[in-house]
Amino acid sequence: MATFELYRRSTIGMCLTETLDEMVSNGILSPELAIQVLVQFDKSMTEALESQVKSKVSIKGHLHTYRFCDNVWTFILQDAHFKSDECQETVSRVKIVACDSKLLTQ
Amino acid sequence: MASSTTSNVYIHVIDDVINKVREEFINNGGPGESVLTELQGLWELKMMQAGAILGPIERSSAPKATPGVTPVHDLNVPYEGTEEYETPTADMLFPPTPLQTPMPTPLPGMAQTPLPGNAQTPLPGTAQTPLPGTADSSLYNIPTGGTPITPNEYSSVNDNGGAPEVKPGPGRPSPYMQPPSPWLNQRPPLDVNVGKQTITKLCVIEDTRQQMTLVYDITIFCFIVAYVEGREEGERGASHQPMTQDFFMMSAGKRKRDEFASQYPNGGYIPQQDGAGDTISNELKVGQGSNTQHNTTIAGAEMSLQGGRSVSRISQLDGPIPDPYDDVLSTPNIYNYQGVVNEDYNIVNTPAPNDIQAATPAAVTQNDTVDDDEDEPLNEDDDDELDDVDQGEDLNTTHLVLAQFDKVTRTKSRWKCTLKDGIMRINNKDILFNKATGEFEF
Repeated sequence: MATFELYRRSTIGMCLTETLDEMVSNGILSPELAIQVLVQFDKSMTEALESQVKSKVSIKGHLHTYRFCDNVWTFILQDAHFKSDECQETVSRVKIVACDSKLLTQ
Repeated sequence: MASSTTSNVYIHVIDDVINKVREEFINNGGPGESVLTELQGLWELKMMQAGAILGPIERSSAPKATPGVTPVHDLNVPYEGTEEYETPTADMLFPPTPLQTPMPTPLPGMAQTPLPGNAQTPLPGTAQTPLPGTADSSLYNIPTGGTPITPNEYSSVNDNGGAPEVKPGPGRPSPYMQPPSPWLNQRPPLDVNVGKQTITKLCVIEDTRQQMTLVYDITIFCFIVAYVEGREEGERGASHQPMTQDFFMMSAGKRKRDEFASQYPNGGYIPQQDGAGDTISNELKVGQGSNTQHNTTIAGAEMSLQGGRSVSRISQLDGPIPDPYDDVLSTPNIYNYQGVVNEDYNIVNTPAPNDIQAATPAAVTQNDTVDDDEDEPLNEDDDDELDDVDQGEDLNTTHLVLAQFDKVTRTKSRWKCTLKDGIMRINNKDILFNKATGEFEF
């Protein structure tokens, strides 16, 4: 079953990767098992985002760069404004990486 | 700092992952429960340091205060209220000393028990029974196969190789573009070089005329063999030009001369129609009715080199240098390669032969770049500065949104997209969303 490794770049994903890195370097954990953990993380994260999160966000900004390659959209926005029920944020520069949602259902 | 809902979702994910991989850790000679617990502890610690999850993790059974709590916990009931016990602090759960020192052994203080106070269960509050909803573990079995989908961006990260991990220190999240360790790159599905062609400088070739030629080609041996065989065919020495044409035709197939190069099926050899006594050139020469000037010169060359295909002694027949504005001469040269090729190369003034002289593109482009260096700067660094604008200000400015897209549309310069299931890291905060709509102006 295919997974999106996309979420490994998030905070939680990077923390897990670093932890696994250390443990593999110390020989406590085997690399194969670490990869299994990461794959399981991909699945769990995707499933949690689908089921546990209910918020909506709107994004507006100036599109500085757009790229579509390997079914992945990458946008770089400038002066972007994020609005959700809970909070609003404004950033001068943000990168958006988005994978095709249809790929997971295949 | 993360909101409580975000923190809860993260904690849920951590628990879910740990529970699902527990089998792998315990069965089949895995590292065991203690390693799994250590993994979870470290993971949570890092998350707290990054501010992604809120301070103490509120789980149903306390580490120390209530040792009598039964390990079995019914997860169908929400977590008990936090006022029942004093929430342990991070320091109690995770001694700070191991952070600074490398960890050849498990964390001190955790050698005896996975978490202080949790002698029985690896996770406080985790039931002995699997989580409800995961009974159909078919979805969540951890297969050894499966091809992960790697976003192109991430693949470029992997290409950086196993650089040593950068530890920005406690309390600071690591850079997002941190390349993973080498062991992560061992996975075959992540090999992004599959299918790509690596171009290397093959060799420097010296032909019979003592000219140096740089040939760039794909590092596949068959091409080297083909090249060697091509040379050995007693070449018609004239120029290395046909050889490089062969090369490019066989390897990249992208050169403009592919069309006419294919007319010569005999090993890709393109005969020199320099006016030597070739039968081919004779026949094709007949076909050219319009260039009387060239016909006379060719006839003259033919008589001088009758019957000989000794290409090394092809006399240079410089036809009349046509006026650059003389369309009669210049235009047909492009399309009638059969027989008038040699003269064309000697004609410098007409613009047309420049297209024909694409046989040595490397030389031509090199000349161009040299001129550029002398005349004006290449402006190589313009874009690099733009990329680094935010990097230098603060380590936390790599604002990032990771999501899946449902639709991306554009009308003129107005872009609209619908995203779903995303994680945003903005202004040092983690925000999760189920749906997002974007409207960008390009």
